[in-house]
Amino acid sequence: MTVETSSAQQPRRSPSPIAVVAHRLAELFRYRDLVRNLVVSELKARYKNSVLGFVWSLLNPLGMMVVFTVVFGILWPNNQIEKYPLFLLCGLLPWNYFSASVVSSMNSIVGNGSLIKKVYFPREVLPIATVLAQLANFLLAFIVLFAVLLIFRSNLSPWLWLLPVIILIQTAFTLGIALILSTLNVFYRDTAIVMEVLMLAWFFLTPIFYSIKQLPTHYPFLGMNLDVHRIAYIVNPMASLVNMYRDMLYYGYRTDPDFFFRTAATALAVLAFGYWFFIRYSSRFGEEV
Amino acid sequence: MIVERSHAPLPATPLVELRAVSRRFVKRAERHRSFQDLFIRLLRGRKPPQDLFWPLRNVSLAVHPGDSIGVIGPNGSGKSTLLKLITGILEPTGGELYVHGRISSLLELGAGFQPDLTGRENIYLNGSIYGLTRAEIDARLDDIIAYAELGDFIDTPVRHYSSGMHVRLGFAIAIYTEPDLLLVDEVLAVGDAAFQRKCLHSIQQYRDRGGTLFLVSHDLDAVQSICKRVIWLEDGEVQADGAPTDVVMAYLNHVAQTEQEKTRRAGIPSSAEIENRRWGTGKVRITAVELLDTDGQPSKVFYSGAPLSVRLRYVAAEPVANPVFGLAIHHDSGAHIAGPNTRFGGLEIPRLEPVGSLTYTIPALPLLEGQYVISVAAVDSVDSETYDYHDRRYPFQVFPGQANERYGLISLGGEWRLDPASESSQADPALEARRPEAVAQTRS
Repeated sequence: MTVETSSAQQPRRSPSPIAVVAHRLAELFRYRDLVRNLVVSELKARYKNSVLGFVWSLLNPLGMMVVFTVVFGILWPNNQIEKYPLFLLCGLLPWNYFSASVVSSMNSIVGNGSLIKKVYFPREVLPIATVLAQLANFLLAFIVLFAVLLIFRSNLSPWLWLLPVIILIQTAFTLGIALILSTLNVFYRDTAIVMEVLMLAWFFLTPIFYSIKQLPTHYPFLGMNLDVHRIAYIVNPMASLVNMYRDMLYYGYRTDPDFFFRTAATALAVLAFGYWFFIRYSSRFGEEV
Repeated sequence: MIVERSHAPLPATPLVELRAVSRRFVKRAERHRSFQDLFIRLLRGRKPPQDLFWPLRNVSLAVHPGDSIGVIGPNGSGKSTLLKLITGILEPTGGELYVHGRISSLLELGAGFQPDLTGRENIYLNGSIYGLTRAEIDARLDDIIAYAELGDFIDTPVRHYSSGMHVRLGFAIAIYTEPDLLLVDEVLAVGDAAFQRKCLHSIQQYRDRGGTLFLVSHDLDAVQSICKRVIWLEDGEVQADGAPTDVVMAYLNHVAQTEQEKTRRAGIPSSAEIENRRWGTGKVRITAVELLDTDGQPSKVFYSGAPLSVRLRYVAAEPVANPVFGLAIHHDSGAHIAGPNTRFGGLEIPRLEPVGSLTYTIPALPLLEGQYVISVAAVDSVDSETYDYHDRRYPFQVFPGQANERYGLISLGGEWRLDPASESSQADPALEARRPEAVAQTRS
């Protein structure tokens, strides 16, 4: 009873990190049909289970728009933003896309634990498919947005063709965050609880129901003079993103190139880090979920 | 640690090769599972001692195209860990692992079904989990649907499927992915008997087409009938790797030895428990009961077809006339198998000596594999007074040994005879008419 080994092969060295990432990307590409099937099944499952089907996904932002308009337009009469429902929707829809993606992808690994323990496939398809399903929802919600645009006769930006690029930048950023959080949640199961609070804070720190122009440029803090307006822009990519959407759809402005490129670079950096973080730890998912 | 995987087999290379692969686990309780625990641990500022164990240690093996390998071993021997390493669900802690080729595993049939989608939609979803492209699934779709025997249910949401339909669809998808290596883990225990046969048949067909098979099972017969090579894994190490009959035999001998030691050590139940199962007037007391093997040595483990003797030692306080000593053998299930006694055996004891022993010898044990227990008794000649009764107090175990009978509790020791066709069988025209091929064979 001998143990067979093929002595013809030479011992091999560990592959370089770049080769690892390239291999993982090729593997992901091989499983592209799985990503598509997961997205389709997630959308199908969501719309099959409710009577109103996908109409719900259109009514939800409309309902939120009404609530915020009542709160900040009527209960808070010193609001000076004109066409407030449109202004609001331009911030609310991208935020909803971001927040729904983060919340649902956080559970995408742990929630599929039984599958992960039984079958091998590149684990990143799960958060990716979750985010892409939310993207599909976001795009559907543009039906509502364009209806509101028509009602308010908004002046569209001549640079409107940038809109898909902005959506792409947001998707890259969202995916990066989703990859990090879905990994963290495997090892620390209270990630979701921590994120609940953080997402609420993030929502208020993002100029969704207010304009970033309303933030003070001078705020005394410990003897320093803080430019809150500028800090909000630089620290929070979601603020930049929301503003870019508004430039396209609300202000009719071409958007500032420095912010555009800085946000794009930030989003790609977050995505790259998130992907590295994910593949660094995903080999342990099989024992941890 | 080196891991290399690709989805296409390489020429002149094993599909799977493990070189000194080890896998370590940290016992669950020692892990922090939340930020809260992490925070508390950081505050305390010390690392908890880690409780490690190694489900696989230094395992080397190679799987070549066309191999059909069975993996046997007790629970917790590392079989599942080995499969998970090969599929890529787990990564090794140390060693080198090379996998070249597409792997499908029948670890859990129907894992990944989405209940809201129809059977057809789930075929695409599940197929892509196994790494098939849409075109590849298109090509197999009709075969899968036909094999799963779902009929019109194929367009019903899987939510409404019975568990049998679930399993059939899952198996159909897995077998039709036509992997380079098929991993089967105890899958033969699912579904109804007819479907199990179909599964087994499909696995054999896959093997006969040149498919490579890795089968993990406790069913040693299935392993021996399907596999051409068997690996015995225990305590995370390869104990033996070779021809099925050799490895299975070595494994069974090892199991028998361990059992023997275990029963010898664990031995007798608590004295209170024993006293509860003993009664009688005590005129005659059975003081010791021994089960003796071929060599006359006390044992608790015996083999079918080998000798077994029961020796009773007794003490009689006063002279007793015409006592009867007897035994009862019960199977673990409670069935009373035999009840020999001295009177049935024709041994008259007109007057019992104060001290002595009796021996009942079974020259060739007809009992088959299983757990048994013996009762002993001493009664008076008309069975009206029980002197001493030990109810089911002496357990023993039977292993197959050289016997090849497997079904039921005992071997009847009968003989089979095959008679070639004679005039008498042709005299039954009705029977022959129903079996024309039999006639053709006989005449040719």
